[in-house]
Amino acid sequence: MEKAFKSLILLLICLSFITGCKNAAKQGDANEMVLYSALAAKVRGLDPGDIGDTTSSVVASQIFECLYQYHYLKRPYELIPQLAAQMPIASEDGLTYTIKIKKGICFSDDPCFKDGKGRQLVAGDIVYAWKRIANIKYLSKNWWIFDSRIVGLDEFREYTKTCKKAIDVDYSYPVGGLQTPDDFTLVIKLKKPWPQIVYLLAHLPTAPIAKEAVDYYSKDIINHPVGTGPYKLKIWNRGSYIELVKNPDFHDEFYPSQAASGDVQLGLLSDAEKKLPLVDRILLMNIQESPPRWFLFLQGKIDLSAIPKDNFESTIDQRGGLTEDMKKRDIHLGIFRDPSTYWIGFNMEDPVLGGNKPLRMAISCAVDKAKFIELFTNNRAEIAYGFIPPVMKSYSSAVKDISPVRYDVNRARELVEEAEKIYGGKIPKLVFTLPGTDVVVRQYGEFYSRCFKEAGLDIEMEYMDWPTFQDKVKTKSAQIFSLGWIADIPDSENFLQLFYSKNVSPGTNNFNYSNPEFDKIYEQISVMPDSPERTKLYRKAEQIVVEDCPAVFLYHGVAYVLYHDWLHNYKPHGFGYGLSKYRRIDVKKRAAYKDLLKNIK
Amino acid sequence: MNNKPTITKKQLPKGVGFWKDGFRRLARRRMAMVCLFIIFAYFAIAAFIYLAEAFNWQLSIVDWSSQVGEEYQPPSKENIFGTDFLGRSVLRKTIYGTKISMTVAFWASIISLLIGVPLGAIAGYFRGWVDELIVWLYTTLSSIPYILLILAFALVLKDKSISFSWLHLGTLQLSGITSVYLAMGLTSWVGICRLIRGEIIKHKEREYVLAARSYGCKNARIIFRHLLPNVFHLIIINFSLRFVSFIQAEVILSFLGLGAKNQPSWGAMIDTARLDLPKGYWWEMTAATVAIFFISLALNIFGDALRDSLDPKLRVQ
Repeated sequence: MEKAFKSLILLLICLSFITGCKNAAKQGDANEMVLYSALAAKVRGLDPGDIGDTTSSVVASQIFECLYQYHYLKRPYELIPQLAAQMPIASEDGLTYTIKIKKGICFSDDPCFKDGKGRQLVAGDIVYAWKRIANIKYLSKNWWIFDSRIVGLDEFREYTKTCKKAIDVDYSYPVGGLQTPDDFTLVIKLKKPWPQIVYLLAHLPTAPIAKEAVDYYSKDIINHPVGTGPYKLKIWNRGSYIELVKNPDFHDEFYPSQAASGDVQLGLLSDAEKKLPLVDRILLMNIQESPPRWFLFLQGKIDLSAIPKDNFESTIDQRGGLTEDMKKRDIHLGIFRDPSTYWIGFNMEDPVLGGNKPLRMAISCAVDKAKFIELFTNNRAEIAYGFIPPVMKSYSSAVKDISPVRYDVNRARELVEEAEKIYGGKIPKLVFTLPGTDVVVRQYGEFYSRCFKEAGLDIEMEYMDWPTFQDKVKTKSAQIFSLGWIADIPDSENFLQLFYSKNVSPGTNNFNYSNPEFDKIYEQISVMPDSPERTKLYRKAEQIVVEDCPAVFLYHGVAYVLYHDWLHNYKPHGFGYGLSKYRRIDVKKRAAYKDLLKNIK
Repeated sequence: MNNKPTITKKQLPKGVGFWKDGFRRLARRRMAMVCLFIIFAYFAIAAFIYLAEAFNWQLSIVDWSSQVGEEYQPPSKENIFGTDFLGRSVLRKTIYGTKISMTVAFWASIISLLIGVPLGAIAGYFRGWVDELIVWLYTTLSSIPYILLILAFALVLKDKSISFSWLHLGTLQLSGITSVYLAMGLTSWVGICRLIRGEIIKHKEREYVLAARSYGCKNARIIFRHLLPNVFHLIIINFSLRFVSFIQAEVILSFLGLGAKNQPSWGAMIDTARLDLPKGYWWEMTAATVAIFFISLALNIFGDALRDSLDPKLRVQ
């Protein structure tokens, strides 16, 4: 008994010693710059070839790099070289892209390399990464990027089908469209022109990966990322936290010296031309529930946070600025436009709605977009008139004048009368399908049904879970539905393809919209490189769609982010993920926050 | 000579029947009577809404969907319970919610009694393998957690239809609240079944049953004409106490997103108000809770009083 008691005491002493060490490790040097951040979802894996979720992308983007990246400060979004030495050189026919790669970039040190020393990056690492995604045995989520795009890559995929196991795949199997004339040149040959390829070269799954690492770690590669980026993975305590440390061998990259207007006043250029990364360590805590995340932010334990819907009122005042309480805490607000558009879609093949433009316009007039935004988004949105979000280069504010419909109940009633003449009698009960059965979606439904009723239209709301909803939309059996789209790349083509007649359901054109004039423009622009003419055509295509009214375009999202005073160089970004390298922490200010909190109390 | 003894009516002590006696005892309890009045009031509101809808009366108090003021207005003289996120009167929504809640609770109680009582009576009367089968059925059913069972039933029944064409009655669409009360009725008959079974086992050895049998009565007649009327007070008590739990179950189901779709019910109101509460809009939650509180309290007190008055073992003066 006594022995057991003694061992228990000993165990307790050991435990306290261990936790003490751990805390010490967490705190480290007082002047060390540490970025504390929270992850709202679990990190699934850190193998760039198989990443499909945002949270994993955020972590992996600090470790891996792509050929190109978005300029951190410039708006509209602009691509700049990252691993590439310059922007790609496209052939005249738009089918061949030649990309020069920077020399002297090395993978971070890892036991998978000879002597544990990271070797130099070569063009072959990019070819290997892409072939790996094409390998059917690897079952990557990201094959859609290359599907029917690159000469010979689809044939490579066919070849991998004949291999029994993933290990049997021979990566030296030639792919005509991916050539490396020397170690620092990559030549890509496309099947047909694809100007958007440059944006995908900045998309994490296309990042190079070392074959040595994949061979060494095999399936465990998702836990052992070996990249060229500014940070290295130090600890990954699953479900708890991830610790990243500065990569000592990171190549020369400097904080940008050019910025968008207004950035200088915000102090975003005070670190211009400094060597990146600025922060020594990053601690990413996994906190899935929003209340604890919020409280940790208020206590200064994490540096930045989104605003939970329930705390919005106490954070943002009537005029859209921070409340006094937040200002006392020296908290700053970052607002940025999402590349998103949300709408009420019409099934253009529906016998009632399809051939009846006045009816569709009546519904557009009946929906009070401003009220919707006020009620359901805490005013965190902008009214939409077309589908191209204001954050896109091709957005034109003239769309407001083109759009033939404004919220006007009387006009809606007139249009309903007109629609009834076309229909030849009273418009039958319309069915509105909404994705989701929870209370917020029901509130949307109640709001919409009141709008419809005010215009004199009979409406039935239908609430269903996401898979059933998708099925209904894809089989063209939904009459009116609520949906949206968030762009993956800053190119409006991403939105335009939603209205192309060859993409009708089960494709992405859920409206089943078809207009030969639009199709002609779309086919023309889908192979055009970026130019003022293309932008003009984008706008013309949008105008055609807006006039045909296959949807009520509701709003474009606006996101709010809060950050503490000690976090510098924070600028929200719609597409980039690996942005921690630009941040700087004022360690003294953070330390003083405790006293500030005491004073507030 | 007329030797017949003359018995005048006055000499006969007036007998008081079981039911009359019970209700007389009940009437003496003032609290129970108040509760009965509240219950009647709730039923009357529900019935009134049904009538108003059937005859298309344009009454403002039933018109819950129209806007009466600004959004999220706190309680005032014009709007006793304030307004909701679309500027609709919370009072009208609460009143309309009575219809849904009372309908669901009423039909769920009826369905559960219609299943539980005959099954319990048959099991208790026949015993043997019939009893074993029924006991097996209800023990299996009661071993599944109640809310999960209701949820499973409600999900299975959702958006299905039952055809009554063989009765020339058309089809019954199981949408919204129909599936809710069917699910509740089909899953909650175990308690009453067990109770009736026990009572029948006790009663079936009594003299009056023996007498009925000696007259050559058939089993069905003995069960339904002799045994059940003697345990009927238990059914009534059970009905009133069960009613409360059904109202609460409807609230929980609506809260879980399985209730009435396009009409307000107390559960749906609480579900909505849950999101408004952190913002300080307390009135919708309060209105629905108050409505549930009064009917629950009234039914509980009345149910207890009913048991005290009708159950011979508990009769108190």
